[in-house]
Amino acid sequence: MSGGEGTREASVVEAQALSKRYGPVEAVRGIDFIVRTGERFGFLGVNGAGKTTTMKMIYCRIAPSAGSLRVFGLDSAAHAMAIKRRIGVVAQESAIDPELSVNENMLLYAAFFGMSGARARLKADELLRFVGLEGKGKAHIRELSGGMKRRLSIARALMNDPELLVLDEPTTGLDPQGRLLVWEKLSLLRAQGVTLLLTTHYMEEAARLCDRLVIMDAGRIYAEGTPAELIAQYAASDVLEIVGDAAALPDPATLDGLVRRSERHGETSYLYTDDGPALLGRLGALGFESRRHVARPATLEDVFLNITGRELAE
Amino acid sequence: MSLRTYAAFFSPNARHVFRRNLLAWRKYAWSSVTINFAEPFVYFLAIGFGLGSYVRLGGQTRFVSFLAAGLLAALPMNSATFDAAWGVYERLNTSGVYESMVTAPVDPREIAAGEYLWQAFRALLYGTLFLIVMALFGLIASPLALLALVVVTLTGILFAIPAVALGATVPYQEQLFYYFSIVITPLFMVSGVFFPLDRLPVWARDVIWFTPLYHAVNAVRPLIAGRPTVGTLGDVAWLVVFIALFMALPMARLRKKLAS
Ligand SMILES: Nc1ncnc2c1ncn2[C@@H]1O[C@H](COP(=O)(O)OP(=O)(O)OP(=O)(O)O)[C@@H](O)[C@H]1O
Ligand SMILES: [Mg+2]
Repeated sequence: MSGGEGTREASVVEAQALSKRYGPVEAVRGIDFIVRTGERFGFLGVNGAGKTTTMKMIYCRIAPSAGSLRVFGLDSAAHAMAIKRRIGVVAQESAIDPELSVNENMLLYAAFFGMSGARARLKADELLRFVGLEGKGKAHIRELSGGMKRRLSIARALMNDPELLVLDEPTTGLDPQGRLLVWEKLSLLRAQGVTLLLTTHYMEEAARLCDRLVIMDAGRIYAEGTPAELIAQYAASDVLEIVGDAAALPDPATLDGLVRRSERHGETSYLYTDDGPALLGRLGALGFESRRHVARPATLEDVFLNITGRELAE
Repeated sequence: MSLRTYAAFFSPNARHVFRRNLLAWRKYAWSSVTINFAEPFVYFLAIGFGLGSYVRLGGQTRFVSFLAAGLLAALPMNSATFDAAWGVYERLNTSGVYESMVTAPVDPREIAAGEYLWQAFRALLYGTLFLIVMALFGLIASPLALLALVVVTLTGILFAIPAVALGATVPYQEQLFYYFSIVITPLFMVSGVFFPLDRLPVWARDVIWFTPLYHAVNAVRPLIAGRPTVGTLGDVAWLVVFIALFMALPMARLRKKLAS
């Protein structure tokens, strides 16, 4: 579904020292990243991290305050219209026209890209089928559930055969089934060569959907890599979570180097290790018995916690 | 004011914005026609025939035909003002209609131009209906009355300008009522719709000269009566100059909201 004329650049988005301030608020504070052609790239961060602001700059809704931003090799401020032609946008708040039917929403959007008549209608039907909304063309928007609306925004965003699809929290507010459905569609798009750029609060989603991701907090990027790289670098292969018992816990430094790092958040101690069973054994040998502990593989959640000291939404 | 301002009127995107409003309007067309037609019609019956039977104007003119022409001239002010101000606010702030338009390659100026075209259409449609009723009551003296529809359409565009600007500016939708009741209602009362202005003090007439509805009324009335003069052309020119001067203002407002 991607393509279009011209050469395919190796990277779709390149940002350098990209910043955005809203009056006194520095929403994005000098970030650098590159989104390569054909990959699924994610922004993982909590509320207010600056994810939406970054997406809006990429789809040329707002202009950067400083730094450079190139999309398809074009300067975003100077070539907004040319960039918009090649991009699909699923905004955080789906802006489906409530006064138009499903089909009318699709066809109006097509018209803005110069598509009309039978070609636009066929394309709209094809895309509605793709997102599982076949037969809903004549439906009024208020008859659609939240999940259906989200899928409609995805279908609409694909109307112009975008090379880059920007999705701002595509699954927030969806039930697990709706989330799975969106994930499945995004995988299909990826297979068709569309570059995907998405934001999320959910570490599971980031781990599953993203080839590479950045972790963003308070307007800055703190880490970048594949999910596996990030886990290896910032967490460890396993995590031992121990609830309570902090006083009884031996000093991690005394545990024969089995603990790569440790954290304490609220009631819970987190011990990061590359050898979970060995650590448990060593703790037992030291006479430490915890009634409430979990040993599990490390996740992006741990990476996030390590880097920002905050927990993600779930 | 740049060429882009005027070019926006002829862009395909302005037509698509117009068509979007038409599609939305079709779903409630009957109630919209009824309201926009009923309001002047009620004034026409109640004041024209009710109050009018007690009123003598100088010369041959019957009060009811005097009033009907005035109501026709004022109709586009009322049809454009509320619809554009309220609708633009909604599409900008509430329903996200403009927000999704500008993710496509659409310039906010084209959106404003589409809104003007839409108000031109409404003015023409409701104006035509009212003109037909006037004809049925035998109040049309000459085919020149059809030219009054040109003035009506221009007046629709003219009043769309401040309405779009305010809809794109006010932080709270209810604040639009200040404009409706402090500006629009008084204009409706003092622009010569209901009574001739020749007994007003000179200073009052001088002030009124600077307001648009007065010129719309001044242009429509002689056309309905079939006796336009050079002055009529002057009034039309006043409307055209106003439109040309201020058309870019709401475009700038929308650009500020949708591109920053
Ligand atoms: N239009 C605006 N005017 C002023 N401040 C803004 C504006 N938009 C965002 N901000 C501020 O910029 C910061 C980043 O907001 P942004 O919406 O980019 O975060 P986010 O990561 O998308 O958060 P969420 O996960 O809640 O969607 C926040 O502090 C927010 O209050
Ligand atoms: Mg956001």
